[in-house]
Amino acid sequence: MGTIGATEERVQVGGASVHLLKGGSGTGAPVVFLHSIEGNLGWLPWMETISESATVYAPTHPGFGESERPDWLESVSDMARFYLWMFQEMGLDKVSLVGHFLGGWIAAEIATMNPGILESLTLVDSAGVRPRDGEIADVFLLGEEETLRRSFHDAASVPGYDALFGGDQTPEQREARVINREMTTRLCWKPYMYDRSLLPLLHRVNAPTLVVWGAEDSITPPDAGRRIHQAIAGSRFEIIPQCGHLPYIEKPEEFSRLLRQRLSLA
Amino acid sequence: MFLMRFTERAYFHYTEEDVRNSYRSAVRLTFPNSHFDPDMASDMYNYYLDEYEYCEQMGFDGLMLNEHHNTPTCMGAAMNLEAAILARATKNAKIVLLGNPLPISDNPVRMAEELAEIDLISRGRLVSGFVRGTGVESWATNTNPVHNRERFQEAHDLIIKTWTTPGPFRWEGRHYEYRVVNPFVRPLQQPHPPVWVPGSASPETMTWAARRHYPYVFLEADPEVVGDAKAIYAEAANEVGYEPGPQNFGYLFRVHVQDTDEKAYEVGKGFLAGNAGVGRVPMPSEYMNPPGYTSRQGRQRSSQINLRPDRLVGGVDAAGYDRVVGLNRIVVGSPDTVVRKLREVLSVIRPGILAVWTNDGSISHEDTMRCLELMDAEVLPALRELGDELELPGPFEVAP
Repeated sequence: MGTIGATEERVQVGGASVHLLKGGSGTGAPVVFLHSIEGNLGWLPWMETISESATVYAPTHPGFGESERPDWLESVSDMARFYLWMFQEMGLDKVSLVGHFLGGWIAAEIATMNPGILESLTLVDSAGVRPRDGEIADVFLLGEEETLRRSFHDAASVPGYDALFGGDQTPEQREARVINREMTTRLCWKPYMYDRSLLPLLHRVNAPTLVVWGAEDSITPPDAGRRIHQAIAGSRFEIIPQCGHLPYIEKPEEFSRLLRQRLSLA
Repeated sequence: MFLMRFTERAYFHYTEEDVRNSYRSAVRLTFPNSHFDPDMASDMYNYYLDEYEYCEQMGFDGLMLNEHHNTPTCMGAAMNLEAAILARATKNAKIVLLGNPLPISDNPVRMAEELAEIDLISRGRLVSGFVRGTGVESWATNTNPVHNRERFQEAHDLIIKTWTTPGPFRWEGRHYEYRVVNPFVRPLQQPHPPVWVPGSASPETMTWAARRHYPYVFLEADPEVVGDAKAIYAEAANEVGYEPGPQNFGYLFRVHVQDTDEKAYEVGKGFLAGNAGVGRVPMPSEYMNPPGYTSRQGRQRSSQINLRPDRLVGGVDAAGYDRVVGLNRIVVGSPDTVVRKLREVLSVIRPGILAVWTNDGSISHEDTMRCLELMDAEVLPALRELGDELELPGPFEVAP
């Protein structure tokens, strides 16, 4: 995991020790990125960009990688409650939440539980809402390799692809991947990657919201994003062309530009 | 020695090419059921039941069934139904279910009721095996694999309590909750039908079984691995104060008899035909072992224990027929040859329970019936003598 530009910290929440990366400073509200099923991919270029104007936190979800899972944490809504507790422990009264896929679902749950904590909300190719058009691809059934292959519009053009996903892995890295998939299964097996009550509850969100999607996402159909956008008054829906499921990795500059706009950063 | 007969009751009217051309080249889970012909399957279910009824007439001690889902390799998707039919259609043989996949049951009390009915109708002939099921069972029933072992253990505890503790009582578990557990129908055998556990030598499961005096039946395992695994079982048994013997162990493998060695060799190839038996085209690992199916503790335990890998790379189905036959991992031959080879195998593994998997794949009903006739006339009597000579008592001779 690349961590240059950030410091590694641990936060104790409800008896569990959570790992996080922290970097940057500035006058903007702190930005918290909630990762997806791949686990914490480290300090990414877009974080470096945003951290010029705001403090960025990239926690590893409880149960993933190096973070402990409290025994009671079994669902995405448990995860959302855990994060609200964690923000309280960290003294974060207002956050700009950014979440991708699984992390987007968690961010959306947090937003419906406590809209007041949001400075802004950014949902990236998010899970949590069932599309009317198409289905969320079954990443468990596809397997890791095929899921990764389908996650990019053009993997060959992705900056830093090999460092993130290619090459040989240490036994520790392999075990971390097994743990991440296991925790994803625990949280998302049934119903698969959505919660029936989330969409109606999203109407409660009143913070500035950006919904951003890769036009060629073959994991989460863009229609899910459209439904989220329609549920949150005043939200913006941005589709990045020639981009797959991970816009912040496949099109980091475009992604950073949209995010800075939404966060009203200079 | 307890002798039982097994077949997976395969549906075999499809080709290896059909499998290779299917989604992820998998014979289970996603292999399209458009390949299923109900007319043929109707005949096949009846052939299979006829064979089991004949096995009882031959004097097998047990008729073994198993259960899998979404697969042509085993038509026993509702094994307890077949067991119920055999409970009524037979009179003497034990009905050995190896086993009901507990984690995929959302209602273990219903499972306890079904099994009690089978035990009652059969007048106390049920052997109730329990398994975790392969990953495919989790997929097919959409049961979260992360909870597989917890659900296995909790469902087991609930079923045993349902059978043995006077109701009504309440059950507040982690995966199952009931206000009133009080099914009126209880099993005939007391305190409850015997429980056996089949598997592929998972240390966690073997330890669990040993602590409860449940015999463990090795499924086609490498004899070297069986040796290592028996030591793990024995260690757990010693911890709770007993020494296991042959009555605590079973061994299942494919055994096919014909009038001559040549004929048996040819017909036996049917075990590996296409994907009809267990399957030669490797399954996607996610299907058999979805994320979370093997717990972190299980992975650590397995790596510490270091069971030797099977010497047959790819297992019985993929290692090549001659090699598999040469190593006695599948036994085929005339009655004399089969008895000689079984002596070799039994001398090493020393099971008190022997399950002969007589037919599968493309082996026809006619060839199967001839195999069973020859077993009846020449193999079973010799095996009984062999069991006595090698001192291999079964679990109904010596309590496990």
